[in-house]
Amino acid sequence: MDTNPLAPLQHFLPQVWFCILGLFLFLYILLDGFDLGIGILSLTASSEQRRNILMTSLGNVWDANETWLVLMGGSLFGAFPLAYATILNALYLPAVIMVVGLILRAVSFEFRENANNKRVWNLTFGVGSFLAALGQGFAVGTVFEGINVDAAGNFAGSMWDWLTWHSVLVALTLIQGYVLIGSTYLIYKTSGELQNTHYKTATIATWTTLIGAILITITAPIFHVQVREQLFQPPLFYVFAAIPLLGVFLIAMLLRSLKRREESMPLVWTFLIFLMSFIGLGFVIFPNIIPPSVTIYEASAAPSSQVFMLIFVAFLIPIMLAYNLYNYLVFRGKVVA
Amino acid sequence: MLESLNTVALSRWQFALTAIFHMLWPVLTTGMGIYLVVIEGLWLKTKNLTYYHHARFWSKLYILNFGIGVASGLPMAFQFGLNWAPFSLAVGDFFGTVLGFEGTMAFMLEASFLGIMVFGWQRVPPLMHWVATICVAFGANLSTFWILSANSWLQTPAGGVFVDGKFQVQDYFQAIANPFMVNSFLHMFFATLETSLFVIGGISAWYLLQNRLPNFFTKSLKVVLVMALIVAPLQIFVGHLSAEQVYRYQPAKLAAMEAQWETIPAGTSASWSLIAIPDEATQTNKVDVKIPGLLGYLLELKPTLDSPVLGLKEWAPSDRPHLIGLIYYSFRTMIAIGLYLAALVSVTVFIWWRTGLAGDRLGNYKWLWWGWIFAGPLGYIAVEAGWIVRCVGRQPWIVYGQMRTAEAASALPPQVVLFSLSGLVALYTIFFFAALFFGSRIIQKGPNVALPVPGLRNAEELEIRIKMAEHQPDSRPLETQQ
Repeated sequence: MDTNPLAPLQHFLPQVWFCILGLFLFLYILLDGFDLGIGILSLTASSEQRRNILMTSLGNVWDANETWLVLMGGSLFGAFPLAYATILNALYLPAVIMVVGLILRAVSFEFRENANNKRVWNLTFGVGSFLAALGQGFAVGTVFEGINVDAAGNFAGSMWDWLTWHSVLVALTLIQGYVLIGSTYLIYKTSGELQNTHYKTATIATWTTLIGAILITITAPIFHVQVREQLFQPPLFYVFAAIPLLGVFLIAMLLRSLKRREESMPLVWTFLIFLMSFIGLGFVIFPNIIPPSVTIYEASAAPSSQVFMLIFVAFLIPIMLAYNLYNYLVFRGKVVA
Repeated sequence: MLESLNTVALSRWQFALTAIFHMLWPVLTTGMGIYLVVIEGLWLKTKNLTYYHHARFWSKLYILNFGIGVASGLPMAFQFGLNWAPFSLAVGDFFGTVLGFEGTMAFMLEASFLGIMVFGWQRVPPLMHWVATICVAFGANLSTFWILSANSWLQTPAGGVFVDGKFQVQDYFQAIANPFMVNSFLHMFFATLETSLFVIGGISAWYLLQNRLPNFFTKSLKVVLVMALIVAPLQIFVGHLSAEQVYRYQPAKLAAMEAQWETIPAGTSASWSLIAIPDEATQTNKVDVKIPGLLGYLLELKPTLDSPVLGLKEWAPSDRPHLIGLIYYSFRTMIAIGLYLAALVSVTVFIWWRTGLAGDRLGNYKWLWWGWIFAGPLGYIAVEAGWIVRCVGRQPWIVYGQMRTAEAASALPPQVVLFSLSGLVALYTIFFFAALFFGSRIIQKGPNVALPVPGLRNAEELEIRIKMAEHQPDSRPLETQQ
């Protein structure tokens, strides 16, 4: 080991990759979050014309948004092969639910566009969005709770380990969060009656998300030993004490801006709420990548692998962000139908 | 034991079927991307509006295919972890890196600019739109590169060593540029382009056959002809080089492609089998029609060989590919299609040269248009056949000579794999027919030459556009029409 010139990096590299994967996952949850949220909201759209606007608002971005997930998958495979294999193995069924959901909604865009009878594809779009969010919720819930592994880090549980009342709670809350960010995105992108509707859905979703978040925050340390141990160690204890306070503040600001009928601020506050929850989740999991026992150091690919990939990916991240931003800039402004 | 056997078989079925289905869509979008770059470039250069309306018309088919391609690609991205966890662990250091590169370099480029390419006609200047189209096409083909590099590595692993069943990379560039990579990438690059060109040509011929918008569609056909005249012969040549590499690196696969049970010793004449019925039980061919000396010409440009062609019997049955008939006929199907397409384009170019493909004479060549319509789906069949040869012929190895497929599958309960497999098959069957239905609807509807032209200021030009317009209101909301 001592002769390996990369040895000093063995601690640092996995941390860098943990952050990069965190960035990809966060961008995915944020961007496909409003995407899936709008899909779920489309189930309640009162007219075909409204649904048109909803889907048009996603036309140019849904594919790029979903790509963050593919990117996350590919990078996880490269940087932490053990985590990629074990987590997907444990989450086989939720992953299938999610993939089927994403497939259904992806084909719905063009099939609906070309169909005379749009009802079928309206349904596949909405239901697909819901299933994708549900599968992701179960996945987040399961990883949060911990995965049963053997000494080598391979999955050692059963196919239904992911289905617990706690993962159901996380899944339902995530769906609320997606509906919330979808609503605030629509407030930003639309006007008139449609905007009014989504001020209402955003307010309702804020409350349901809040209830879910409170339940998760209260129950997690009580029922999960590893979460508790993680939480009550200083200095993290102070971080975790601050998060609920910050959360309450952000939600209050969100509700206030909804009440004041601000157009872009609700999206910003929602964004901050997502960011805060995500950072909180990251602190709970770190330094594990397969909670409760496999750390990022154990699951890492060879340092040479991580360095090689890092050189290219670090260079590409700003470029990818730039052309995503350009895409949003080109299509800025309200959607008209 | 029986359970794990079933899981491996089911996981293989799932991978094969999802890969075969997925392949259908990106094949068209990667190739058509290049066609769109050419046709949009022609519009920018000549200012001829026909090219602009061609770009708009073919993008409709493009986006239909793209959606299904993305959708069916998702299971591909996760399947390695879901169903092939031991494989992912063993080769993740290299294989995962390459898939990560595909995502960061290729997918995001393609996905970000696709929105501008499809919906951004009125939102960015024409030149910027063309840049977006180039980015989409480049992204798609970059993705071909990475996938083919990864798959070639499975065929000819390089750049490292297997230690205790885990691949340790020593040289990434050597692993990426493994022996098969260049030819395999080129073969697939030309395959997507050729398939797309013949789809576009076939659809154009369908309009010509009905004498519908003949001037419009001779234009697309002529662009196809110029491109295919280069691509079709090159593809045969690259395919030949690939087969020679198989002969050198994967002799068992070559033996399966040729249904050759006995070794042909050096110094004897090597004949090429045209029709055979391989029988794995007796390790012979029940029927075997051979062309004397041809295999020798193909491999070494002379009837007798300097080095032997090993027969399947050289390997124990557990160390060589099975389904010999499938491999043998897939290979021949691919060759026949490659030759037919090259012949078709040559004949058509000859007629173009003699007659100029002028409007009034198009009706004389009904047989030719039927030949093109027939050619439309052939590229897909050749691509699928080629991948069957490549991957079924690699068996029993997942990483050639290093890791067996049977050792690579996750130990999932078979019912679970059966559940996901049947779900995907059901969805894919529906999507396949839905795509055919909506695709033919787009074609029947025809191009909408009343679409607004970006960057048009001149009233005179506007007049020309209105004159040639055959008004067909687009069903999309205004925003998406742009």
